[in-house]
Amino acid sequence: MIEVAGLAKSFPAGGGRGGGSSDANRRNARVQAVVDIGFSAPNGTITGLLGPNGAGKTTTLRMLAGLIEPDAGRLAVDGFDVRRTPRAALARMGMLSDARGLYPRLTARENIAYYGALQGMRREAAEARAEALADMFEMRPLLERRTEGFSQGERMKTALARALVHDPANIVLDEPTNGLDVLATRALRDSLRWLRTPEGGSKCILFSTHIMQEVERLCDSVVVVARGRTVARGTVAELLAQTGQTDFEEAFVRLAFGPASTRIGSGHESGPTGAAAEPAHG
Amino acid sequence: MDSVRAILIVLRKELVDAMRDRRTLMTVLLSSVLLGPLVLVAVSSLVATLEVTAEKREVFVSQPADAPTLVNYFERQTFSVKSPPSDYEAQLRSARFGDPVVVVPKDFEAALVRGEGPVVEIVSDSANQRSQSSARRIERLLEGFSRERSTISLALRGVSLDLLEPVQLESRDLANAQSRATQFTGMLPFFVMMAVLYGALNAALDTTAGERERGSLEPLLMNPAERWALVVGKWGAVSGISMLIAVLSSLSFMPAQWLLRSDTLAALFRYGPLEALFFVVVLAPFAAALSALLMAVAIRCRTFKEAQASAAVVVLVVSLLPLVTVLNPGAEAPWQLWVPGLAQNALMTRVLKAEAFGWGAVLIPVAVCAVIALLGVWYVSRTLRSAALK
Repeated sequence: MIEVAGLAKSFPAGGGRGGGSSDANRRNARVQAVVDIGFSAPNGTITGLLGPNGAGKTTTLRMLAGLIEPDAGRLAVDGFDVRRTPRAALARMGMLSDARGLYPRLTARENIAYYGALQGMRREAAEARAEALADMFEMRPLLERRTEGFSQGERMKTALARALVHDPANIVLDEPTNGLDVLATRALRDSLRWLRTPEGGSKCILFSTHIMQEVERLCDSVVVVARGRTVARGTVAELLAQTGQTDFEEAFVRLAFGPASTRIGSGHESGPTGAAAEPAHG
Repeated sequence: MDSVRAILIVLRKELVDAMRDRRTLMTVLLSSVLLGPLVLVAVSSLVATLEVTAEKREVFVSQPADAPTLVNYFERQTFSVKSPPSDYEAQLRSARFGDPVVVVPKDFEAALVRGEGPVVEIVSDSANQRSQSSARRIERLLEGFSRERSTISLALRGVSLDLLEPVQLESRDLANAQSRATQFTGMLPFFVMMAVLYGALNAALDTTAGERERGSLEPLLMNPAERWALVVGKWGAVSGISMLIAVLSSLSFMPAQWLLRSDTLAALFRYGPLEALFFVVVLAPFAAALSALLMAVAIRCRTFKEAQASAAVVVLVVSLLPLVTVLNPGAEAPWQLWVPGLAQNALMTRVLKAEAFGWGAVLIPVAVCAVIALLGVWYVSRTLRSAALK
């Protein structure tokens, strides 16, 4: 169970380090990446965090991971407050972030077991878990290979197994299908669906994306964010009904960019928030 | 989670990771660990050739037939007189010929008898090390000849020989055998310090900037381990590798001394297990401080390459340290013990000279290194989070 309420975060404008401008106004200018985001992702449910580029998705997930300190708001994982008890919250989460680098000189098994150990698992337990996950993601032949030279899909599977090694009750994925081909995407979808079921552990799964089809096919619940705010919540059907649309993409565009926006010129890349809202630390 | 456990986990992983980087390890081993002994052996063979030249007691005279008196003097000093090759000037210049050549004018004998002071040249090339070191010897030999001639002429005129030498010269060398050897072995501390630096360099960059570049730092921080524990683990691994190189480098001089070509140098250069142990004890804190410093420099860089450029400054400073001792000849000043690098250099030189020193001399550099290591680890821990987010 992940709960987020009233979250806000701003960053210094222009690359964080002053940008060399002598203008005091410019130096004090801040980009409000997250204005007011709130949602809750219950157990046994796949919750999609849907929004255009720069809507504040990655910033929100980074705040959830304790990597960025929010200006305001509350984040809780199974009731553990991320700001006050970050270690307890992290121990209950498996996070696959945008950055999913592996150690090229270690085998896939060692990569997974390393995170297991850091999560406090005993060695044998971590090894056993690595094998179980390898079976789940059909990557057993990869286990003893060094991750140097892995394909995108193989990397993704290893990174996902690494994030899930401690069998967390909450799984958070940031744009997990980025760079995956159709088969790998399907395999990932199947894994997530299984993890949601009682046999899979009734996990709370939260993932961010900007791809409509993924949300339509996978999500039990959708949180639409735009310009740093939560603009809508509900199932796909509810959101369609709310906007009076039959096409989910059209519904999303109306929710994210307002009813005035037309089909043309309201693509994801040209959202009013622009790319500047994503944090750009030097 | 227990922080000590997290430190050990990170330490173990980073050590395994670094040890698998065989190519880098081999490069470091070859360039840093073997270089010192090789240079030592090379210096010893240079000393050996100089010794052989000195022992050979040969003197090259361009036209010996023109100067029978001089040749006679040389032979009485048990030198054998030889003719140089005809193109000796060119050969000296290109360092193919290593002995200075005595050139006498055609009318040497006649001029000598008439007391006209004929000009005798000693031809050598100051860029040719071998000829230069023998030139001084030949010069002394010729001075002896001049002195003999003048003594004889004055004695013939009834001047007492005591008047000719109002002062008797005798030199006494205070240096013990080992401190004499440091003329040749003085650069050894520099080699082991460079070995420590290169041992730490790659691991320090890989665990910080490399981790950023791979995009593995952000996921690493999503583990419920204290950030400082992660950094301490990484620092421990980097220092460990650096110390391993330090141990290997210190030990490498022991077999190297068996290969010493010069008997004199071999007799003077005493480097046993005790000296090696002392080298390691002196270098360990230096390795720890250097590792933390390199990590602190590299954590600010987004890529390994960028970090290499920044670390070049540290490498340059350490490489230039010997210059301080060159520019300040004589005993090292007390302040040098407070400067990392210089302090280790001073201590190791004292060990090679077999000089005694107190606890203060050991503890000051250790304390300075501990402070640097602490500051480095603190800085990396503080920067880690913002570094992870690019």
